[in-house]
Amino acid sequence: MFEQRSSIGVANVIAVLAIVAGACGGVDDVATPDPASNSSDETGSTSEPAPEPASESVDDTEATDVATTAAPTSQADASAATTEPLTDLGDDGIRSVPGEYATIQGAVDAAAEGDMVLVAPGVYVEAVDVETDRLTIRGADRDTVILDGELELDNGIRVLGASGVVVENLTAMNYTNNGVFWIQATGYRASYVTTYRTGDYGIYAFDSVQGQIDHAHTVGSRDAGIYIGQCYPCDALVTDVISANNGIGFSGTNAGGNLVIVNSDWYNNRVGIVPNSGSYELCYPQRSTTIIGNRVWANNQPDTPAIATALLAQGNGILVAGGIANTIERNRVDDHDRTGIGLVPYLEEFPNDDLPTEEEWLLSCDEFRLLPTAIPDDALLWDSYDNVVRDNVVSNSREADLAIASAGGDISTFRNCWSGNEFTTSAPLELQNLAPCDGAGAGDWTAGDLNVARWIGEQAGLPDEVDWREAPLPALGPHDNMDDPDTAPARPAVDVPSTIDLDAITTPELG
Amino acid sequence: MLLAGCSTSSAGPIGAAPDRVIAGPQGAVGQFVVECGFDRFRADDPIVHPGDAGASHLHQFFGAHDVAADSVAERVRGGETTCDQRADTASYWAPALIGADGPIEPTKAVAYYRAGPDVDPLTVVPYPPGFMIVAGDHTATDAQPTSVVAFGCGTGGARTAEPSECGVNGITLTITFQDCWNGVDVRSSIPSQPALHVSYSRSGSCPSAHPVSIPQLQLAIEYPATSGVDPATLALTSGDIHSGHADFWNTWDEVKLRREVERCITRDLVCGVSG
Repeated sequence: MFEQRSSIGVANVIAVLAIVAGACGGVDDVATPDPASNSSDETGSTSEPAPEPASESVDDTEATDVATTAAPTSQADASAATTEPLTDLGDDGIRSVPGEYATIQGAVDAAAEGDMVLVAPGVYVEAVDVETDRLTIRGADRDTVILDGELELDNGIRVLGASGVVVENLTAMNYTNNGVFWIQATGYRASYVTTYRTGDYGIYAFDSVQGQIDHAHTVGSRDAGIYIGQCYPCDALVTDVISANNGIGFSGTNAGGNLVIVNSDWYNNRVGIVPNSGSYELCYPQRSTTIIGNRVWANNQPDTPAIATALLAQGNGILVAGGIANTIERNRVDDHDRTGIGLVPYLEEFPNDDLPTEEEWLLSCDEFRLLPTAIPDDALLWDSYDNVVRDNVVSNSREADLAIASAGGDISTFRNCWSGNEFTTSAPLELQNLAPCDGAGAGDWTAGDLNVARWIGEQAGLPDEVDWREAPLPALGPHDNMDDPDTAPARPAVDVPSTIDLDAITTPELG
Repeated sequence: MLLAGCSTSSAGPIGAAPDRVIAGPQGAVGQFVVECGFDRFRADDPIVHPGDAGASHLHQFFGAHDVAADSVAERVRGGETTCDQRADTASYWAPALIGADGPIEPTKAVAYYRAGPDVDPLTVVPYPPGFMIVAGDHTATDAQPTSVVAFGCGTGGARTAEPSECGVNGITLTITFQDCWNGVDVRSSIPSQPALHVSYSRSGSCPSAHPVSIPQLQLAIEYPATSGVDPATLALTSGDIHSGHADFWNTWDEVKLRREVERCITRDLVCGVSG
């Protein structure tokens, strides 16, 4: 299913910008010439003038098939040849690409801790690995500094165990795995980053803590636009992002603990914001994520790429799947085929470990990973406990604006609460009377309750996955840049996450 | 060459199987992961029957495109691949799973590369170019150790010697390869005994006959849901349902392979998970 590579479906934005990328369809570190130069590559496809901003080159949302001029894979390893500066501009801690280094990887390899790699507009067919602490990789212009994996390279920028690395003000697209990926990092920040058409995630922080993702725009990820996974406490902030046309807008498997998601837009995904537990990765259960002041709408998109979980969960806005002690407040949630804000079980049919005890919910990820694992014989049902759903405005949900469900568990004992929400329908009925956050509740938990197991049977009748390489995606449009990208000094991710006044956040309006 | 030492235990000779079943949550140890689509069925085996087209039982191939009995590494490397990253032009194959209607087309194979259990990641070196390795016993008629050949469901951790009903998740056939090499031969000196140059570590150490630690490849072949199919009716083209095995031919892009081994295994970083 991965062999069709003769032509590549890409949006017009790529067609205009990928003007010299054809010669470099191979392994990472292959340099793409500066589009602004007059050099030509091995296959003779000539460079053209520097691209216009993406926003001016597109005016529709139709993906266009563009026959590439891809040459046979080059095995060249350009990084070794480019670690020496092409032009010595002095050791100012700024490594310019392509001025001083032909490739981003060359500049990264030459950089010292705390340096900045400043990338000029152009298309860079690279998969960049970063192992240097406190490095900043910055694009001079967000929409025209493009890392392009050409549907062949794995990760746009992969940060391997390095601390304090910043990626900002650039675009990564067409990577088979992730746009920007931090692994086991202490301190990370992605600011003003756009990702488009990625095989797993747009922006991904795994087993990483002390992070921030702000002003991102993630579109067309097969799994999730943004994924923060396997951390507790995560100490991370997601703010002012837009995540659309992904399988999942935000995924947070086994993530939480001062993990704050605020002031962001999640729409036209299969499903919006999904904190969930599962024993397929470490540090379960998912706990303590704070979701405030977001706009979450129309997460019923039938033509996105999607993994199995997203297919099962499609049509939900904020869906806590086996999550614990999350706070969901002052969000605006509208237009979902199933639930607006749902607390549901996560069924793990073939688990890798048994359910943790409530005592183990208190363990940090570092403590948790020392525990032995035992593969159980039977499926696990991760139920959702201790969540607070308050002061949200939820509308136009076809099954229920607010919902709690299990698959055999007694939902009246799960200690979740609902207060102050504006809504029309709930499952069970009278949910805010059954379990208010500020007092004792009363009523019938079985009246109008939600049969969530039905979703499994219904999945076959819902729109199936669309190949991530071919899914129709909206044009990106213009984006704000960070302030003064050419002159602002590097600011390594040693001061993240930013402090945010949660109390000051008000429920946003739609439209 | 004989394997170092023998044992009367049911696990077979020392070095014939990993110390334990390698399963459980991902994220605990360093790894890199490649997902490769199904390429084709073909009755060829470039390792056991090199140059002899059609001499093998039917295999399912993943990774490098159009691999056949007469393929040569220099041409396979850098060619087309079904894998999700262009640099993995290695070839992976295994006997086909047979149902009532013939071979069942797999959905994909996921290749996990890690240090062997309890092996010091710092000692792990990449496979040499052209390295050939076979894991599992194609002549087996009784259960092999599930640490080598096992069936499961989806990405679940349970391992059984025979397939079971997996519902919507589909059957997974997982083969765990040897993680110790003699450091000399890129392939066994006897094609019909294709694992003479490799063995499994024991208690985190490689035996003296195979002293070099190499990445432990675990190949998980995933099948579509077979709801309604009696698992007891399934067979492998190599014979008995217990005859599971798999072949790996290292035709990776060498620069990328070395980089992944050094950055993900040696440094013990989780460079990706699959699920």
